[in-house]
Amino acid sequence: MKTQTIKNMKKYLLLPAIALAFVSCSDDDVPVANDVTLEFNNTFKGQTIVLGDATSAEATTNTSVEDQVHHFSELKYVISNIILVKEDGTEIPYNVNDLDEGAIVIDQSKEETLEYVLNDIPTDDYTQIIFGLGVRSDLNTLDEVSNPEFYAEAGANDTQMHWEWGTGYRFTKIEGFYDTDNKTLSFHSGSTVEGTVDDESSYIPGFDAYREITLDLPSMAKVGEHSPKIVIEADFDALLSGKTNTILLDDKNATPSVHTSVSMSKYVDNIGGDGTNDVTGMFSISKVEN
Amino acid sequence: MKLLFPMKNLIRSLILFALFSACSSEDTVLVSYENPELELNVPFGFPDFNNSVYTNKPTKYGVALGEKLFHDTKLSTDNSISCASCHIQENAFADHNAKGIGIEGRIGLRNTPPVQNMAFMKVFNWDGNIRVLENQPLVPIITHFEMDSSILEVMGKLEEDPEYIELFNKAFNGEGITADGIYKSIAQFEYTLISANSKYDQVIREAGGTFTETEALGYQVFQDKCISCHSSELFTDQSFRNIGFPLNPDHEEAGRARVTGLAEDFMRFRVPSLRNIAHTAPYGSFGQFETLRAVLDYFDNGVLDVENLDPILKENNNRIPLSEAEKDQLIAFMQTLSDSEFIGK
Repeated sequence: MKTQTIKNMKKYLLLPAIALAFVSCSDDDVPVANDVTLEFNNTFKGQTIVLGDATSAEATTNTSVEDQVHHFSELKYVISNIILVKEDGTEIPYNVNDLDEGAIVIDQSKEETLEYVLNDIPTDDYTQIIFGLGVRSDLNTLDEVSNPEFYAEAGANDTQMHWEWGTGYRFTKIEGFYDTDNKTLSFHSGSTVEGTVDDESSYIPGFDAYREITLDLPSMAKVGEHSPKIVIEADFDALLSGKTNTILLDDKNATPSVHTSVSMSKYVDNIGGDGTNDVTGMFSISKVEN
Repeated sequence: MKLLFPMKNLIRSLILFALFSACSSEDTVLVSYENPELELNVPFGFPDFNNSVYTNKPTKYGVALGEKLFHDTKLSTDNSISCASCHIQENAFADHNAKGIGIEGRIGLRNTPPVQNMAFMKVFNWDGNIRVLENQPLVPIITHFEMDSSILEVMGKLEEDPEYIELFNKAFNGEGITADGIYKSIAQFEYTLISANSKYDQVIREAGGTFTETEALGYQVFQDKCISCHSSELFTDQSFRNIGFPLNPDHEEAGRARVTGLAEDFMRFRVPSLRNIAHTAPYGSFGQFETLRAVLDYFDNGVLDVENLDPILKENNNRIPLSEAEKDQLIAFMQTLSDSEFIGK
């Protein structure tokens, strides 16, 4: 009930903004939604992934550079901190400090999560999109009081994107199988950093799996004039065969107990980029539909 | 002995404006809360308090609230367990299970650590994933195999109890029930759980205690063979070490490496304190050892030969050689670290 009230209040607060938006484009008297839809297409080398159990005949299989056949039964990741960049370089952040209004758990098993609509984007032409894979450290505290909706969405029994002991969110959760005998492949990423580096009394020297992705749009997204759709491909071939690392799965790195050490960073750099030389990771823009 | 937090009868005032206060200043209500800070002492030879104790100073009502919450089963989703279900006073606020047991008998990953002398510790839990104690209470509340609740669920239950509303207001200047109030008050209560009055303490403070011959010999052996890790009056140097103990078969376990992501930290754990150790069996990160004798036998026989084995063990052929007499003496000494006042018996 409380959540609902807060949500309604937010809506009322948004009203003046929406009214303003209407006023500003009243020239042609045609109100436009100023929506931008992000569509996530999770693939293996361009082929949309079908999930499946160990022995599933329908599941999409992939073969890594190391010649290991693998497929997934579960595929989830968090997108947050979305920023659209105008032609002149101006950045329009989209609720970047509010996980309820600006973040989503993409879940390959739930079609409705594969599209995310950004509302009230200022009328303009956009040439670039920036977003985070995971949750920024300062927001990654499992603060249910501030972000009850995202907290609930991420923590649902069939989602399990809370990382309780690290009091943060899971950024990626992949379950699957590899090799012909379908050995377990399980990859979870998240951040264990806490506190301030300069303050030894608070600092937890953890690993931060958050990655910022920057993608140029192949053609401009014309917001206002149209309600564009940006189709983003996440090619999970990169998990094992990335730009940064080539990973050979074995009993030492295919499950969480050991990938929490050095190998987690290899997977993370593959799918999210290393943040310096590679700022796209597994992501690319397939097309922009205006 | 150092005196901190002198008694200050701080009268904190809070002015609550009614919603329509803009219309008339006569609607102003003045509510005062008197909530004195508690006096906490640093015991003889102990290190100073950690930083959080200074930023979240225990107060009369803060501690009372924390103690009530610590014992309240409302913190678990099915109202079946409280913090005190696993952190039992007579076990130095640990328990006798090998691994923690949550709601519906769900079994956790590790042995329940004792809650004692938290005000002086710089780092908490087996893997040091927490440095600020106020960040800890949320973890068991939300963890599936512990209380499996959520902070809003807990706050919802507390809001139905006028006694809690009153206590939160008294403890935190009329702010009502907040998540921070829950975290801070539990930490405040835990800061008051100080164990420093064992027989050992009475001996070294020359406060009337004397070691038996066996205990005195055990103290010697301890100083020769144990003190490099179990150092200071906390009986831990709070470092992380892999001492080649039998491995937890749970795939989630990686020791300190789970936090840092560093291979060198694989299966390293924080050196546990030895205070009240006679009351916290079984021992080891997942209760591998039933008795103190079993731990000492293991060290004597030789530990696992692992790549990142602690240098002290590596230099000694992966073992701490101990005669049977020395084991008896060490156990006798460790029993002098029991603080009957602290464990309430």
